[in-house]
Amino acid sequence: MNGEVRDLREVIREELLMKDVILGAVKDGPRTVPEIASAIGRPSHEVLIWVMGLRRYGHLSETGEMTDEGYYRYGASAGEGS
Amino acid sequence: MDLPGRETDSMNYDVLVVGSGIGGMESALKLGDMGYKVLLVEKEASIGGKMILLSKVFPTLDCASCISTPKMAAAAHHPNVDLMVYSEVEEIDRNGKGTFNVKVRKKPTYVNPSLCTGCRQCETACNVAVPDQFNANLAARRAAYIAFPQAVPKKAVIEKEGSSPCTFTCPAGIKAHGYVALTRSGKYDEAFNLVLGETPLVGSLGRACYAPCEGECTRDMVEGAVPVRRIKRFIADRYYQGHREPVYSAVEKTKVHKVAVVGSGPAGLTAAYQLALKGYEVKIFEAQPLPGGMLRTALPSFRLPKAVVDRDISNVTALGVVIETGVRVEKISQLREEGFDAVFMATGTNKDVTLGVKGENLEGVRGSLDFLRSVNLGVEPSLKGKIVVVAGGGNVAVDSARAAVRLGAQRVIIQYRRGREDMPAHRWEVEAALGEGVDLQPFCAPVEFTGKNGRLAGVKSVRMQPGEPDSSGRRKPVPVKGSEFTTPADLVITAVGLTPSTGDFEKELKLNGNGTFAVNTETLQTPVPYIFAGGDAVTGPSMIVKAVGQGKRAAYFIDRFLSGESLDGADYDRRLGPVAGEAVLGRQESLSRLEPVAEKEIPLEESKAGFSEVELILSEEEARYSAGRCLDCGVCSECSQCAASCPANAVDLGMREEKRELEVGSVIVSTGFKLFPADAKPQYGYGKYKNVITGMQMDRLLAPTRPFNTILRPGDGKVPDSIAYILCTGSRDKTVGNPLCSRVCCMYSIKQNQLIMGSLPMADVTVYYIDIRAFSKGYEEFYNQAGGMGANFVKGRVARIDEQESGNLVLTYEDIDGGGVIQKAEHDMVVLSVGILPNTDPFGLFTGEELEQDDFAYVKETDEDVSPGKTSIDGVFVAGTASGAKDIPDTILHAGAAAAQAAAYVERIRRGK
Repeated sequence: MNGEVRDLREVIREELLMKDVILGAVKDGPRTVPEIASAIGRPSHEVLIWVMGLRRYGHLSETGEMTDEGYYRYGASAGEGS
Repeated sequence: MDLPGRETDSMNYDVLVVGSGIGGMESALKLGDMGYKVLLVEKEASIGGKMILLSKVFPTLDCASCISTPKMAAAAHHPNVDLMVYSEVEEIDRNGKGTFNVKVRKKPTYVNPSLCTGCRQCETACNVAVPDQFNANLAARRAAYIAFPQAVPKKAVIEKEGSSPCTFTCPAGIKAHGYVALTRSGKYDEAFNLVLGETPLVGSLGRACYAPCEGECTRDMVEGAVPVRRIKRFIADRYYQGHREPVYSAVEKTKVHKVAVVGSGPAGLTAAYQLALKGYEVKIFEAQPLPGGMLRTALPSFRLPKAVVDRDISNVTALGVVIETGVRVEKISQLREEGFDAVFMATGTNKDVTLGVKGENLEGVRGSLDFLRSVNLGVEPSLKGKIVVVAGGGNVAVDSARAAVRLGAQRVIIQYRRGREDMPAHRWEVEAALGEGVDLQPFCAPVEFTGKNGRLAGVKSVRMQPGEPDSSGRRKPVPVKGSEFTTPADLVITAVGLTPSTGDFEKELKLNGNGTFAVNTETLQTPVPYIFAGGDAVTGPSMIVKAVGQGKRAAYFIDRFLSGESLDGADYDRRLGPVAGEAVLGRQESLSRLEPVAEKEIPLEESKAGFSEVELILSEEEARYSAGRCLDCGVCSECSQCAASCPANAVDLGMREEKRELEVGSVIVSTGFKLFPADAKPQYGYGKYKNVITGMQMDRLLAPTRPFNTILRPGDGKVPDSIAYILCTGSRDKTVGNPLCSRVCCMYSIKQNQLIMGSLPMADVTVYYIDIRAFSKGYEEFYNQAGGMGANFVKGRVARIDEQESGNLVLTYEDIDGGGVIQKAEHDMVVLSVGILPNTDPFGLFTGEELEQDDFAYVKETDEDVSPGKTSIDGVFVAGTASGAKDIPDTILHAGAAAAQAAAYVERIRRGK
C-alpha cells in the first residue's frame, strides 16, 4: 500500500499544515480519501488521519452514499471550526 | 476544594480511591453511600476509565456509555465523594496511627474549571494537533481538549509539558512557538498580533534579531533549526503589506500618571508601547533627529530597511505615544518637574570605544557608530576608489565593512586581532562580507595610524598569535615580534566596542564602572525610586531582543511602582522550565528529515551596488513548510488563541501545579490494567501494516463517539468487506511473557463481531482462535449467537500476516479443524484481540511498606479466597483488574468487596483496634 508508515505523532502534527491543501483538493466537490490522496500527492493512510481530524473540527464532512468501491466522499463543511 | 475536617479524628478523608474506572467509581460510590468521606483521584482529565470508551458491553450489548455515565455523574455529584481529576497520587505512607499520609499532585489544566462551560471553543481554536489517546490514537485531538464527549467533569484541559525551548530562551519572552504554530495553520495575522503583544518591533526583529530561539530549536538536533526569525519577518511583511498603518487608534488614558522615556531604541520603544497599552500617557525623548536608536542609526539598511523601522515605530505612536526628537535630556529631575511621575532611561550605548593607538585623532579615522549613523542618514559621501580598513571583529565591524563596500570602496579590509572563529560577529554575516569581497585579516591589529598634514595615510599593523588563556579561557592574542606592516588607507573605521554616554547623569544616578546605570536587575529600578533604566545602557552592548526584553520588564515594574504595588517578589517571569530536546525527540519512534529552506539573497552584484535589503523574504509556501517542521516541544504553543476564543475567560495559562498532603484512613488501589502492545507480535504487522488494528481501536470505531464517520479501514478509508480477528494476541503466550488468559478477549471480539455484522451487513467476519472461553452467565449463548449471525470461527493459530499492494492482508494459519494444513486467507482488515497486562504503576506509590505483587505482577491479594481485595499492607485494598484480569461484572463485584473491606478497616482504626 502506498507509502511507508511514518510516526503517528509526526503525521498528526501536520494536520493543520495540510488543512488548506485538503480543502483546496475538495474545492470543486467532495472526494474520497484515495482521490484526495492522489490529488495532493500524499499517502492515503496519512490523508485519512488528516481528513478525520478536519472532520472532527467541522472543516469536512462526508456527503451522500458510499461509492461502489466502498468509499465515502468528503467535502468542505461550514461547521464549528470553519 | 475545601477538605472536610472531621470532629472525631484528623483524617481529611476516610478512604482514598486511586483510579476512577468502573471499579474505582463503584468502590467510591458504595463507600459514599455508607457515609464515608471518599477522595477519588484520577490521572486523566475525566473519570470513567476504559469502560466509557467502549462501544457496548457483553453479553447484553448494553451501551457502555449508558451504563458508565450514570456512575460517573453519581461519583461526581455524590455528597461524600470528592474528585481530583488530572491529578496523580505521588506517595502513600502508612503512619503509626494506622492511617495513611498521602501526597497528591494536581496537574495544571490551564483552564479554570469553575468558569469553563465545556463549549470546546478553545479546542476548535487550538493550533497544535496530537494523537488522541481517548480514540486509541486513530485520530487527532488538540493540545486544548475535552477528553471525550461524555467526560466528567466536562472541562477543557490544555496539555503543556513546559516551555518550548525557543520561547523559553527568548529574552523578550516572545512566544516563538506560538507564532510558528499559527503560521503553520495559516493564521498569519494572529501570528503577527501575538508578537505585537510583546513588542512593537515585529518587522525589525524579523530581520535583525540574532534569534537565540533558533539556537535552542530541537530541530537543530536533527537537520537544522526552524527559521523562526525568517518566519517572523514573513508574518510582519505580510501584515504590513496589508496594513500600511496600525488598525488601532490611541488607547484611552486610564491612568493618571505620566511616564517619560529617554531614548527611542528597542528598549525605549517597547517600554513606551507596553506602558501606553496599560493606559499611561507616555512621551519619548530622543536626541537624534529620527527615532529608532540603534535600529535607525547603527544597522545598515541592507539589513534593516528604515521603512520597516518607521512602520514598527508607528505601532507605538498609534497608541498615542509622543516622540520628541532632537531633544537631549541632560537632567532627569527636570522631567519630574515637568510632571512625569516615572522615567525610563533607555539611552543605549551610543559612543564608540577608542583603540587608544597613536594617530586615532587623524582626519579619516572614525568610530563605527559615527560612520554608520551618517550612512543611515544618507550623508556619508561616496568611497569610490578608497581603501577602507575596519578594526574589530563584531557585527558592527562587519556592518561597517559591508556599508563601505556599498559606498564604492576600492578595497575593504577587516583587521581582527584573533582568529576568524573567535569573531563575535555572526558566522553568516562574516560569510556575507567575504562574499561581497571584504578582505578579512585575522590575527592582525592596528598599532598606529599614520598620516600627512593631519590626514590619514595608512595603518601600521602587527601580526598576532594566540598566547596564554585569559580570564575568559580564550587565548589572549600577543604580537609577533617584527611582524609590523603598513597598509595604505583613506578611511579607518574603529569598531572595537560601544559604551554608554551617561556622563550627564552621574550626579543624579549611580553608574557602574563601565558607565552603565546601576539598577536592581530584577526590577530595573535605580536607587532613585521613580527612575528606571534598561537596555544597553544597563547591560552594555547586547542584542536587540534583549533590549526589547528590558523594555518590557521596565514597563511591568514601572506600572507596579506607579500603582503603589510592591516591586519585591512580583514574580515577573512565570514561564515554565524548558522541555529538553531529547525528551521531545523521544516522543517519536522515528522522525523524517525535513530539510530547512535555504537562505536566499538578492544577486551579489545588485547587493554590492546599493543599500537594497539583501535577504529575501520566505514565500508563503516556504513559511508554512518551515513552520510545519516545528516539533511542538512544549505541546501547547502558547499561541493564546484558546484564551482569545473562550467566551467564559476560563483559560489561565499562568496556572501551576499544586501539591496536596492529606491523611486518609484507608486506600483502595483501582488502577486498572494496560493493554498488550500489539507491536510486540511483529509477525502480525501492527504499526507497519495500515489495516491491522487492535480490539480497542475497533471498539472506538464501533462506539457512537467514534473518530471516523463509520467503520473504515485506516489504510485508505474504505468500508471493509472482510474482517479477520486474531484471538489471544499477547495472552496465553509465553513468547511475550504473558501466560495468562485475559478473560475478556473472546467475548469482546464476539461482541464486536455482532456489532460489525449489524453495522455492515455485507461484511464477512472471521475469527481465528485456539479455544473460546465462554465461562460466565450468558457467554456461551452470546458466542453461539455470533455464529448464528454469520461469524466464521476458524480454529487455528495465525503464524504471520503479509500486506498486499491493495492494503489487503494475507493471513497464514494452521487450519486445525481442517487437518492441520497450512492455509492462507485474504482479508481487507485485521483486528488483533489484544490481551490485558498488569498496571505496575501502584507499586511505586507506597513508601515504608511494600505493596506486594503476585507472580504475574498484578497487585497480590494475600487472602483471595476468604478476604478479596486484601493486600500485603494493612488498610490498603485492591479493586478490579488491578489484581488480575476481570470482566466488568466481576470488576464491579470485586470493587464492592474492596469497599466493604475498607469500611471495616476505617471502623477498626476509629475504635483504635
